[in-house]
Amino acid sequence: MAKNHAPSRRSSSRRSDLAAALVAVASIALGAATAAPRPQAQEPQLPADRIVIGGMQAPKFAVPDCVPKRPDEASQAACRTITQVLRADLRFENLSFVQESLISAIPPLNPQAPKFEDWKGIGANILVVTQAEVANGELVTEVRVHFVDNGQSMLQRRYSGKPDNPRTFAHAASDDIMTLTQYKGVAKTRITFVSDRDSSKERPSKELYIVDYDGFNPRRVTVNGSLNILPTWRPDGAAIAYVSYRQGSPQIFLAKIFEGQSVANLSGEKGDGQAFSPAFSPDGKSLAFASNRAGSTDIFVAGADGSSPRRLTTTQAKDTAPCFSPTGQEIAFTSDRTGTPQLWLMDADGLNVRRLSVGSGNYNDGCAWNPAKQYSEVAYTARLEAGGFDIAIVDLATRQVRQITEGRGSCEYPSWAPNGRHLVFSCQRNKRWEITIADRDGRSLQTLATGPGNNVQPDWGP
Amino acid sequence: MPFPIARLPLTFLVLALALTLGASCTKRTPALASAHPGEGGAGAEGDGAAQARTQQLQEGPDVRAIGGEGASGSDIPGGAFTGEGGPLADIHFELDSAALSDGARSTLEKHALWLQGQRGARVTIEGHCDERGTTEYNLALGEQRARAARDYLVSLGVGQDRLRVVSFGKERPLATGGDESSYAQNRRAHFAVGR
Repeated sequence: MAKNHAPSRRSSSRRSDLAAALVAVASIALGAATAAPRPQAQEPQLPADRIVIGGMQAPKFAVPDCVPKRPDEASQAACRTITQVLRADLRFENLSFVQESLISAIPPLNPQAPKFEDWKGIGANILVVTQAEVANGELVTEVRVHFVDNGQSMLQRRYSGKPDNPRTFAHAASDDIMTLTQYKGVAKTRITFVSDRDSSKERPSKELYIVDYDGFNPRRVTVNGSLNILPTWRPDGAAIAYVSYRQGSPQIFLAKIFEGQSVANLSGEKGDGQAFSPAFSPDGKSLAFASNRAGSTDIFVAGADGSSPRRLTTTQAKDTAPCFSPTGQEIAFTSDRTGTPQLWLMDADGLNVRRLSVGSGNYNDGCAWNPAKQYSEVAYTARLEAGGFDIAIVDLATRQVRQITEGRGSCEYPSWAPNGRHLVFSCQRNKRWEITIADRDGRSLQTLATGPGNNVQPDWGP
Repeated sequence: MPFPIARLPLTFLVLALALTLGASCTKRTPALASAHPGEGGAGAEGDGAAQARTQQLQEGPDVRAIGGEGASGSDIPGGAFTGEGGPLADIHFELDSAALSDGARSTLEKHALWLQGQRGARVTIEGHCDERGTTEYNLALGEQRARAARDYLVSLGVGQDRLRVVSFGKERPLATGGDESSYAQNRRAHFAVGR
């Protein structure tokens, strides 16, 4: 079993920072039009990210320790991991919990017949009972979720498999528990990113890696010793498109991660041609990218296998970094056609081009359209004033901008969790780039300990 | 660990390597000697062939790695000038610009003359950017820089089939400091000469 790196979860309450940032952004956006700034005027009202289960708002969960079904060390160790990881997963999903000290104050859980009165007494609404055992080379975990009020069972699941990574059992249970809520869980999702950790002075390289969403279980994808950058998941989770210098020029490659095979030069560049910024449509059938084959860098869209490419932008400016809307009917991209890089929108056929970023900052790039349709918003990398870069989100309906990072060094390359509730990006702090996660309100920022080196360009996959 | 036994063949390897390196260093001397005289701070490199040879012999990992691989070193054909240095100096650019300055043009004019005397030489023009700005935008910007250099060389009579263009964006900076002088060094077109 590979050694895992513990994620360091540095959380911070950033409300006041955020408010200050919003005022700053608002005043830039309004510019000269508003003479006197109105500080407490318009903090955008974000929809409350409250978990609802069976009509209950933000119910309080109790997740007591997993109970081993056998006394052997393997079963006990598996149980300890499952408890720890399941709690972390559910906390990440923003569920509410009763204090752990209260759990230890009541009699130990009887997993077969919980005394619901005890759990009601400490304020729990929902009780999650887990049991596990390792027997005959197999780990079996049972999870039961009860409404404390009436003891009613909401979910009963049994998971079995190889015992080498009990974390995956907890991730599966967390995602199943999340099916009781209005949100889809992300505990089984993975993030791909670029790192120079296996680079050497003689042979500087960047390779692709995959980690679980919580930073554990890093695995290397590319091994070619070249520059491999800008990875993006195919929506089916079985392949990653990326840019590789393996054949000299930057070209788009496709890594089939389960087969360990790659397809070179997907977009069919010839000679000096370079292609980068691959982005799949949500249905996985189309691939948008940037190419210089027509002279200047333009946006193209092709089949997911690179077939039948069509040119979408035709300016002499640099048109790069496309991203699809959740419906696949629109594409946002970056263009410096007005002098500085700004975000633009167009229909997926290249028509109806209009500017998205207005007035806020002189450098806006690297769009990531929130995949959840209920949030009509685009995250991007912004330089709001000279100096470092920050992650910002523009609401498509109101065009209000909210800043997600501030004073964390330079941050760039946002990518959304599949459910649109969290963002991943990379930030440079103390001269090192690290993968960082925040929720869509810019709270609970945490650095993922994915391993050594500079870790950049994360893409959150299914 | 059978350390004393392993040590004996290693000694032979060191000796053999000393001969190999001696030969190849002599051959490479012109390339090393022309390495960016203006950029101090390279330290270990660029202090002349003799010191380089001594250092390589003293450093265990270099020797062991080569011996351990069971490989002997040889020049890659056409690869002599592909690293830093080389006969064609870099040209530099202003922030977020691919416009050729007067200085860059006069450097490119010298490059064109050199290339006319070296009919067999082919050049890969690498466009590079400083670390500010996003990966994608810098890939496009680096491409514009390399293309601007190529177009000027072509206008001076260098055959386009001898010139290749590749953008490294901000992915392979020459200087790693986060200050204006490092940024300025990294906003460049680099000319890797092969045959």
